Parts: sequence; C-alpha cells; structure tokens
Amino acid sequence: MTRRLLAAAPLAAALLVLAPEAALAHGLVGREDLPIPKVVFAYAATAVLVASFVALAVLWPRPRLEGQTERRVASVPRILDPLCGAIGVAILGLLVYAGFAGSQTTTNNITPTFVFVIFWVGLAVASALLGDVFKAFNPWRAIARGFAFVATRLSRRELPAAMPYPAALGRWPAFAGILAFVWLELVYSGRGDPSNLAVLILAYAAVQLVGMSLYGIEPWSRNGDAFGVYFGLFARISPLHWKRGEVRRRTPLAGLTTLDATPGTVAVVCAMIGSTSFDGFSAGATWGDLAPRMTESLRNLGFSQSAGLEITFTIGLVVLVAVITGCFRLGVRGMRDATNIELTNDQLSLRFAHTLVPIALAYLVAHYFSLLAYQGQALGYLVSDPLGTGANVFGTATATIDYTWVSATAIWYVQVGALLAGHVAGLVLAHDRALITFKDGPTATRSQYWMLVVMISFTSLGLWLLSSAN
Amino acid sequence: MIPIAHAGHWVVNLLYLAPVVLIVAMLAVSAHRDKRAEAAERAADGQAPGSTADETSGKPAR
Repeated sequence: MTRRLLAAAPLAAALLVLAPEAALAHGLVGREDLPIPKVVFAYAATAVLVASFVALAVLWPRPRLEGQTERRVASVPRILDPLCGAIGVAILGLLVYAGFAGSQTTTNNITPTFVFVIFWVGLAVASALLGDVFKAFNPWRAIARGFAFVATRLSRRELPAAMPYPAALGRWPAFAGILAFVWLELVYSGRGDPSNLAVLILAYAAVQLVGMSLYGIEPWSRNGDAFGVYFGLFARISPLHWKRGEVRRRTPLAGLTTLDATPGTVAVVCAMIGSTSFDGFSAGATWGDLAPRMTESLRNLGFSQSAGLEITFTIGLVVLVAVITGCFRLGVRGMRDATNIELTNDQLSLRFAHTLVPIALAYLVAHYFSLLAYQGQALGYLVSDPLGTGANVFGTATATIDYTWVSATAIWYVQVGALLAGHVAGLVLAHDRALITFKDGPTATRSQYWMLVVMISFTSLGLWLLSSAN
Repeated sequence: MIPIAHAGHWVVNLLYLAPVVLIVAMLAVSAHRDKRAEAAERAADGQAPGSTADETSGKPAR
C-alpha cells in the first residue's frame, strides 16, 4: 500500500492543482487581486503537503528532531530575570490603572489593544522566534517569587514546601483559562470595556497566586497558568532555549519533542486552534446566515438580544473546538487502526499532541496578521497617551495607523504561507515521532496516512475560513 | 425553497472539501485492496500442497 500511495500521490496532487482552475476560471478573484482563484491555493497547499509527506517517507528514515542536544550560546546575567519580572509587574500595574482610570473608549485606552493584540498575538509570535520571553516577564510569577523572597528573609527559614502538583490535573486548568480568555475575546459583549478588562486581569492574577502558593511557582506556571502554557508551547518552536542562566541553541521545532505527555495538553492545543477557527468562521457568510437565526430563536425563548448573541457565539466557539478535537482524534484513531499498536487512543493522542503546536501558530498568524500589522501600530500613540486623556509622554501621541504599508494581496500570501509552513512543520514532527513510536520505517509511514488527512483538513479549513472572512 | 438560486455560495465552499475527500477516498480504496490481497494470500496459503491445514475446520493449524 505504501508504494502505491507514494506513486499515486504526486499525480493526484498535480490533478488537484490543475483541475479546478478551469472550473473556476471566472470565479473567485477577491479584493486581493490574485492571479488565481482562492480555492486553488487550497489545492496547491494539498499538493505541497502530499509532496512533503512523500519526501519525508523517502528522505527522512531516522528521527532527527527527537533527543537532540542543545548547545550553549551565552550566559544570562542573574539580574535579568528579576529585572524582566519587575518590568512585567509594572506593565500589569499600568494596564490595570489605565483600565480603571483611563478613557473607557476602547481605541483610546491602552489596555484592550495591549491585551488582545500585543499580548495575545504579538507575544505568541515573539515566543516562537525568541523562546519563552513571557516566562521572564510573567508578572504573577514575579510577584509570587518576590513574596517568597521577602517571606524567606523575614522568617529566616525555608518556607513550607508546596503540595505536589496532582498528575491528574495536568494542563486542564490551563485549558479552562484559555477557553475563558477566548470566550472573553470572541463572545463577551463587554470585552472592549477597559474597566471590565482591569477587573478580569486582577481576578486572573489572584487565581494564579493562589495556584502558585498551593502547588509551587514553577509547577503551576508550567501546567496551570493558561498564558504560561500558551506562550510556553509556542516557545518550543523557537531555536532559542533560555534555561538556568544561559541561552541554548537548538534546531527549530526540536523543543516540541520534549513536551511532556501531560493530561489536558491535547485539549489546550485544540482550544487554541478551534478558537482561532471560530474567529475566522464568525466573520464569514455561513455564520452570518446562521447566527441571527439562532439568536432569534433564543430571543423567542425569553433571552435578551445580548444574552442570545453571547449564547449563540458560545455554542459556535464550543462546536469549533469540538470539531478540531474530533478531527485530531479521528486521525489518531486511524493511526492506531493502521498499525495495531498497543497504546490507547488517549496515550497516542498525547504522544502526538506536539504536532499541533505549529498548526496553532499558523492559524494564529494567518488570522491575526492583519490585526497585528494594523492595530499593533496603535501602540505607537497609546504608549504616549495610555489613558486616552490627551497626554504625550514620549511625543508620539499624534501618531496614526498606516493602513497602506502592507497590501491585502501581501496579507493573503502571508496567511497562505503561514498555514502551509505550519502544517508542513506538523507533518515533519509527526513523521519524526512516528519513527520512534513504531517499529520500522514502512509502519511509521503507514501510521501517518491519517495524520496527513488531518493536516490537509486543517489546511483546507484554514484557507476556507480566510477566504470566506476576507 | 431549494437553495439552487444560491448554489454558487455553498458550491464554492464545498470545493475546499475536495482535497480531503480525494485523499480519504484514496486511502479507503488502498486499505480495501490491502485487505483483499491479504485475504487472498491467506486463502492461497491454506490451499497450498502439503500445507498443515486443520482438516476439520479448514483453518491453518497453529
């Protein structure tokens, strides 16, 4: 079967690219002024994925990413960690203060732009490039470490040991935190209200401090802190690893192979992909038809317009996360059936959970690149006037957003490129993991047929969402 | 009532599903052929001269 599929794959891929162009020659040319219909990009992406799959089967016979050693690049001054922590706490303080004391107009206040654009999107991209920078700036980790330092000095003895982090709890608290954040971002009608955000920032910080005091600062940050887990996962893509006072270099993606198979990890990554998918889906025509009908039905049941909308969007969000999870689980089940391996679906899912992380990044870049490229510029005037009160601290308060620096066509190519790169990276990671999970090369390749289907499904879904939202 | 008039909207959407359907169909056909080939191989082994097939059940002896 392997040989037949490998032989047929390039032919099928070529047909996929050539066939639809004729059918849609007069069809879809968007505002982006593209030379070919958008759907052809999906077929071309499929061709690239199939070709990558074949190339991996032929040219990648041994694991190359698993078990790699890191090389030390430089040492990091000890002062840097507390310094970055202090900066993180200062930014947290500014956001909370601006949320309460500043203008309540979303675009005039630094808090919404910082939280939804710079933090959620910009820091994720920075983590994938530079490593786990959030860990250094994590304000609640810095506060907890500061408290522990002061308490140890005052009491002149070791603090009581924290409880061991329950293995069964895994990354489920992080999953809950990520779902709560994306619900806030995509569903909650008061998300643009700076004072609401300030309250929620304080509530989240309180939960983190309780978690850290119970289970220890590092175990909680690694498993329970939604943002620690979120940025930590993206940081594993990076070629840089900041650890124990030094910076180490490694092959990009290699950090993902050391991701521990902790319960809840699959749910976290699927929530990341599913929520971004829903954001794209909710901007499309299909949701535009469906959502008003659902909201109207809820209004007929006695809900207010606002509550009806929130319930409708909550259902959409949950369904998209479930669809992504279901796709991945189906791929894993196909892998198990194709190889008769003596592992449960859950065990196999956890073993391959890391392959979804580049896809989560690809979805994030594809869906939010334009947001970061345009709305990210707002930081230029917001740093000078964070409260929206007419201040001009750094002299940049009159700066504006330049909507011409990147064209719609360029954005589309960045989106397609990100999706493609993310899914090829996912295939590479899955192939590499299959080589150490299954006994021989042919079995490993056979195991990945269904993962290839998962990757093609996610790519097609991503491009469909982008094309219908644009 | 039948949404033929707006078919252009959803037919274009369905085109994004084509690669997935094609790959799944290829895999399903290959898996089916593999199973048939394995079954034929087993049957051929069972009928080969001098085979140690169980005379009462017809299954290969263990």
